[in-house]
Amino acid sequence: MIAVEWYKQFRRPKTYAALSIVAAFSVILTVALAATGSGQTEFVGDVPLLMTPRASGFSVPIIALSSTMKFFLPLAVSLFAGESVAGDASWGSLRYVVARPVSRGRVLWSKAAVAAVLSAIAVLTLAGSAVVVGGVAFGWHPLGVVDGSTSTPGHPQVDVIHVGAMLGHLGLSVLYVGAGMLSIFAVAFFLSTTTRRPLVAVAGGVAVTIVSRVFNADYLPGIQVVNGYMPNNDIDLWQHLFTRPADLSGAPHFLLLQAVYFVVFMGLAHWWFTRKDVLD
Amino acid sequence: MISIELVKQLRRVSYWVVFGILAGVSGVVTVIIGLTSGGTPERIGTFGSVIPNSSGFTMAAIALNSLLLFLIPLAVAIFAGESVAGEASWGSLRYLLARPVSRKRVLTSKVVVAGVLALAAVCTVSVAGLVSGLAAFGWHPLSVIDLQHASPFASGVTTFSPLGALGRVGLATVVVTGTMISTFSFAILCSVVTDRPFSAVAGGVLLSFVSRALDDVPGLHALGPWLPITDKGASLWTAVFFQPTDLSSYPHLAAVQVAYAAAFLGAAWILFNRKDILS
Repeated sequence: MIAVEWYKQFRRPKTYAALSIVAAFSVILTVALAATGSGQTEFVGDVPLLMTPRASGFSVPIIALSSTMKFFLPLAVSLFAGESVAGDASWGSLRYVVARPVSRGRVLWSKAAVAAVLSAIAVLTLAGSAVVVGGVAFGWHPLGVVDGSTSTPGHPQVDVIHVGAMLGHLGLSVLYVGAGMLSIFAVAFFLSTTTRRPLVAVAGGVAVTIVSRVFNADYLPGIQVVNGYMPNNDIDLWQHLFTRPADLSGAPHFLLLQAVYFVVFMGLAHWWFTRKDVLD
Repeated sequence: MISIELVKQLRRVSYWVVFGILAGVSGVVTVIIGLTSGGTPERIGTFGSVIPNSSGFTMAAIALNSLLLFLIPLAVAIFAGESVAGEASWGSLRYLLARPVSRKRVLTSKVVVAGVLALAAVCTVSVAGLVSGLAAFGWHPLSVIDLQHASPFASGVTTFSPLGALGRVGLATVVVTGTMISTFSFAILCSVVTDRPFSAVAGGVLLSFVSRALDDVPGLHALGPWLPITDKGASLWTAVFFQPTDLSSYPHLAAVQVAYAAAFLGAAWILFNRKDILS
């Protein structure tokens, strides 16, 4: 079943288009950095991390992950998750898919598995292409990262990260951001089982990140109460991996939250899909 | 034509739901802040800081500030996106055009009505914030701290009399509406292109988020001033709450919004005049 679904999704131009856009993002970012002053210090994230792109190509994946984790990556993940079931419904082929002598549960989980693998590929493509393109442009050198939150004008807190450690840090960052996509994936996938229009499911997944950003205590301190339950507010914590000492105290809560959202919405998707009248 | 269109749109229950949600969220923000943290300073844009329970006028600014990221663009995109595509989805667009009125007048009246509703949506947010804020925290002078110019030697506090504060809230509402022009125009264009209102609304919201996301990318700073909506551009309205009021960035903001409006509405105009209407 998984192989059938995999084969189907991999023959769609849309899948390739989404993945190429993700890879193209790294290229455009690198070109833009090289063209507009790679010697300037860039402020990355809310920490902020200060780094000079020209010093090392490893700055490119950090910048690429930071600038896509709140909108473009959620969009790509929602696209794969939202298209999975609703895509078949919009072609009118969902009834034939479930008419095969296979349980609906297996159909659903094979679709979920394929969409999840594609989403993971999207995140990996972004980071991988950024490492490669950034390295080609600026070289794979040790990167000095200044911790903007603890530095004072006289005492910059520089953390020089060597190539091996850098690859490890980046790997962890990709895992963290990937884990942060679980809530978005699950919501888009659940919506995909309820609608016959893929766009609705994709918009729903993106809406998760947007609602989360609206109810973020960083911008609206008065709503501190709900901040801890919003699925995507702490997705930037991985940036602390590049400071020393790394303050990752919020990470377990974030990962637990992702797991809860994932289980709840995937459970809802299963419950809904196994009972629904499939008319498309 | 305009009055017919206005009456038609005002009869739609879903539009009143949109206004209700905007007013409701503004009110709920006031209630949450009033109950849990009325004395905690809240940010207005990048540099403004106000203490909610010091004056009811703060809530109008806080409501605009917190809804500007998503709910206001969504409401604007709904009114613009539903205008033509809504008619197409009911299947009544062909009958609409069968009337002895030129397509140009049909489109103009639809755009004008959608624009009025979009303006009404932003006004709903500030009025609901104002009313709930005045009820909760009272009719007092409004003090705003300008964090950009606050230092150990200057407090950076500006105080407005209640009537002055009311005028500033009005000005802020106008400027916020101005920053929505590009989103509105793009949703109108999408509404002409597609038969599905949902796609048109999503298109409008997508423009505002793609624009903000591109603005977040380091290395693309040079693009910032030319994007339809950015975090910086969307917080320019807060300038009216500072004294002396720095309006130097407004001509550029207006020029960019007008340029996007001309491009998107012009494209919508051309497409609608030539389109084969099948629905």
